[in-house]
Amino acid sequence: MSVPILEVESLSTEIQLSRSVVHAVGDVSFSIGEGETLGLVGESGCGKSITGLSIMRLLPNGGHITSGAIRLAGRELVKLKEREMRSVRGNEVAMVFQDSMTSLNPTMPIGRQISEQIRRHRSVTKKEALRQAADSLSLVGFPRSDERLGDYPHQFSGGQRQRIMIAIALSCEPKLLIADEPTTALDVTIQAQILGLLDDLKERLGMAVLLVTHDMGVVAGRADRVNVMYAGRIVETAPTVELFRHMHHPYTQALLASIPLLSQDRAERLFSIPGIPPDLTTPPPGCRFAPRCSRATDRCREEEPTLQPTEVDGHLFACWHPVDGPAARIVAPDPGKLATPAPEAPSAPPAGSEGAAAAGSPAPVRPPAARVAAAEPDQGVPLLVIDSAVRAYPVKSGILQRTVATVKAVSDVSFSVERGETFGLVGESGCGKTTLGKLIVGLEKLDAGRVALRGTDISKLSARELRSFRRDLQMMFQDPIASLDPRMRVGAILREPMRVQGVGTAASQRAVITDLLSEVGLPATAIERFPHEFSGGQRQRIGLARALTLNPQVVVADEPVSALDVSIRSQVLNLMKRLQQVHSLTYVVISHDLAVVKYLSDRIGVMYLGKLVEVGSVDDVYRRPVHHYTAGLIATAPEPDPTIEKSKRKVAIKGELPSPINPPSGCRFRTRCPAAQELCAEQEPPMRAFHDGHLAACHFPLQEPMRPADKEAQTASV
Amino acid sequence: MTAYLIRRVFISLIVILGISLLTFVMTHWIAPNPGRAVLGLKASPAAVAAWNRAHGYDNPVWAQYWGYLWKLLHGNLGYSYKLNQSVASLIAENAPHSLWLSGSSVVLSILIAIPLGIFQAVKRNSVADQTATAVAFTAYSMPQNFLGILLIGWLAITWHIFPAEASQSEKIIPYILAWRANFLPIATLTITAVAGYSRYQRSAALDSLAQEYIRLARAKGLTERAVLFRHLTRNAILPMVTLIGLSIPVLLGGNLIVEDLFNSHGLGLLFFNSLSNEDFPTVIALTLIAGIATVVGNFVADVALTVADPRIRIS
Repeated sequence: MSVPILEVESLSTEIQLSRSVVHAVGDVSFSIGEGETLGLVGESGCGKSITGLSIMRLLPNGGHITSGAIRLAGRELVKLKEREMRSVRGNEVAMVFQDSMTSLNPTMPIGRQISEQIRRHRSVTKKEALRQAADSLSLVGFPRSDERLGDYPHQFSGGQRQRIMIAIALSCEPKLLIADEPTTALDVTIQAQILGLLDDLKERLGMAVLLVTHDMGVVAGRADRVNVMYAGRIVETAPTVELFRHMHHPYTQALLASIPLLSQDRAERLFSIPGIPPDLTTPPPGCRFAPRCSRATDRCREEEPTLQPTEVDGHLFACWHPVDGPAARIVAPDPGKLATPAPEAPSAPPAGSEGAAAAGSPAPVRPPAARVAAAEPDQGVPLLVIDSAVRAYPVKSGILQRTVATVKAVSDVSFSVERGETFGLVGESGCGKTTLGKLIVGLEKLDAGRVALRGTDISKLSARELRSFRRDLQMMFQDPIASLDPRMRVGAILREPMRVQGVGTAASQRAVITDLLSEVGLPATAIERFPHEFSGGQRQRIGLARALTLNPQVVVADEPVSALDVSIRSQVLNLMKRLQQVHSLTYVVISHDLAVVKYLSDRIGVMYLGKLVEVGSVDDVYRRPVHHYTAGLIATAPEPDPTIEKSKRKVAIKGELPSPINPPSGCRFRTRCPAAQELCAEQEPPMRAFHDGHLAACHFPLQEPMRPADKEAQTASV
Repeated sequence: MTAYLIRRVFISLIVILGISLLTFVMTHWIAPNPGRAVLGLKASPAAVAAWNRAHGYDNPVWAQYWGYLWKLLHGNLGYSYKLNQSVASLIAENAPHSLWLSGSSVVLSILIAIPLGIFQAVKRNSVADQTATAVAFTAYSMPQNFLGILLIGWLAITWHIFPAEASQSEKIIPYILAWRANFLPIATLTITAVAGYSRYQRSAALDSLAQEYIRLARAKGLTERAVLFRHLTRNAILPMVTLIGLSIPVLLGGNLIVEDLFNSHGLGLLFFNSLSNEDFPTVIALTLIAGIATVVGNFVADVALTVADPRIRIS
């Protein structure tokens, strides 16, 4: 290993609240060498961000380092005077934050935001600093960067702003870059580009990088070594491949096991860690993971384990009852052996017998309820039909506010969903998937086309008729905090849909609520409590219960687990699957997370810029993608496996989503497509069948269509 | 942006037209028979009818409204029969005094409240912050006339530092120069305004301080001074622009309570006196002016915000 640039030794950080003290980081030690990337992973509240901020000495109010040492190239930072520390910040250590939308000053041109840091640390003229700012902008991939120095942050997209933030961080060529969730707010395609850029710059500038993230997929691909944090402690540290293949801490194992993989067998329950992380104002004695650990013994609850070495150099863990390697995971058998352009999912990782025991051998679930429910008479009509749905928002401008253009949010989308089925919708943000979800439940009005439930077009219904249809169409929202009224008790939140619809008596409503609460795993006392008294995962359970109070047929779940931590996410996913069977629900699941959509869905639709570009069964879409966009999406989704991730060095989808006001002519994906030709700009590709029920709209598909329907298809599919 | 401004002016004009309609309706409602109101109860019906005919009050209502508008456009705001003077000249005599009192206190309070609010936000929960908060709440919750009386009691009656009455000069220049005489009314207005503005500025600055760009500015190694001046202040005063724009009507309409309390010439006192004398033409003209001032204030605030905030400016 090279000379350590950063050495952190027994760092402890506390945050003083008005009545208590949060022991955010306790006794954390690690080092990073030149040109090395150290991943710091853990769930929210585990202290990973506070560790990063401790190094910068930029702790939030009330935060202070209580003990330990931080050495940057041999220089002790903890004891430095604030004035001296200021000339270290931005100069020798730089930081990139998560939220590129709020991290740039909205009222200052970006050129000045970069150059002010250069001027702070280098004695250069204003003009020279701006020239250097332009240089760092070109470094992060802005062509003609000097022309953009006078632009303001809102004139850039999220991905571009993240690049600008990286340009700021790198403008003084720091020795250490702390990247705190640098890509969490971005789409997978942009995420891959930004992470690639960071990697590239790290090598060019010989920096050390501390990559703070909750995403095991991101560390798998980018980190040389990984620290796993839990409740303020490092519980395991190892070289990346070693950690993923031979972890010893049950938490590391459980964390990995709770992530749905693209290769996941959908019939299996996901592993989930029971409970929630401890409150760090009063951390439990002994091992902090013990209350959630299936292997915990009395010793774990009383005596705290310290990091101990293994035979592998640099692999340490803190556990009394270590596991060996990942938990057994049932990988879906590959039904078709067709060629696929996307990197194939890995075979089952070697499973330690102990690991399988620790995970609590996952119980197979019953076959999907579709088959049970299909027995009901349906007159051969699919439960939900979306036919040529169009939704466009006018863009008004000028003195008279005339409509000058339209944002084509949903353009001519058609698909159908059978009873008991789960239909997944994936795509980048801004592709129109959320608008489509709202169209389905009648929260948005169609401009053209129809949405039919049991053969009845809901867009033609009067407000009164629609109200009764809403019983069957419910929505589960992404944000568990914002979607529940903070001033209503949970009981009132759950009763409201029934009251509005005039369903049942007070007593029967109460009975429904009590049943639902127990079904989603909340105590009956929850009725009297307010949403803020619950954790994120519990609130999402309340959201699911609310969607189910009217016993709907269709639930549209918009990013149901995106706001949740990994270990909580799998609890909610399992719950959604279980309730689908119990209530014979039909789901439309909207998510940008391919693994989540794949785990829940029977069939999948891929959306791009308002268009459905590919639709088919899960296996068709994931194993035999036809559209270049689908293939690119699958290739860029980070998977928690270092072997797969490190092999994906090239960026699969270049560029950014074009404006939905002026979508590209012909095929809308052509501006970012590796296979685009002139035809793609001239003609919009028709939907063609590639397999039974597997449709895609591409002139130059990755597979031969089933039966070439028209002339273009014959010439095109060469 | 030009299109936005033109549209904004257009909308403002429509609103002003609406206000004129309202005041016209109010006039009719208060004095359905203006001749009778002017000539008094003892006048003969024939004289009343003749007066009404002479002044166009026998025309249909829409024609009367049109005539009213026409007069307004020519600066004819009506005639005060009580004071035997045109309302326009009354306003011209009194407006400068009000403008000076309210204007100087608004400027003073901005100069005090913005730094104070930002300071309180930066030193949140410190002794200084909590003291300022307590004082601000006390001042804010105090009726303005009570505060004025307190100031008169201490500074004028007990210690004789300032006179209890504002300058009585009818001319504006001597009025402005008599700063000692006008100290107490301006102080009363300023203290109340600072109490409100500083609270608002404090919370706006707290919002800005919580933003990531402040953290990024610190992560750049900037001094705390640079963070506050370059990054915090501009963003934190954006919400104040709207608030200050909304206080323009007070500026133009004069301050009723303070002008009455300190017996200062001005639109507020004029309004107060007209109201007590049942001088309705003056009252209604002042109402119209206050309405127009509100619209203008809003417009100015919007334009100022457009200039100050690049997000609005460019898109």
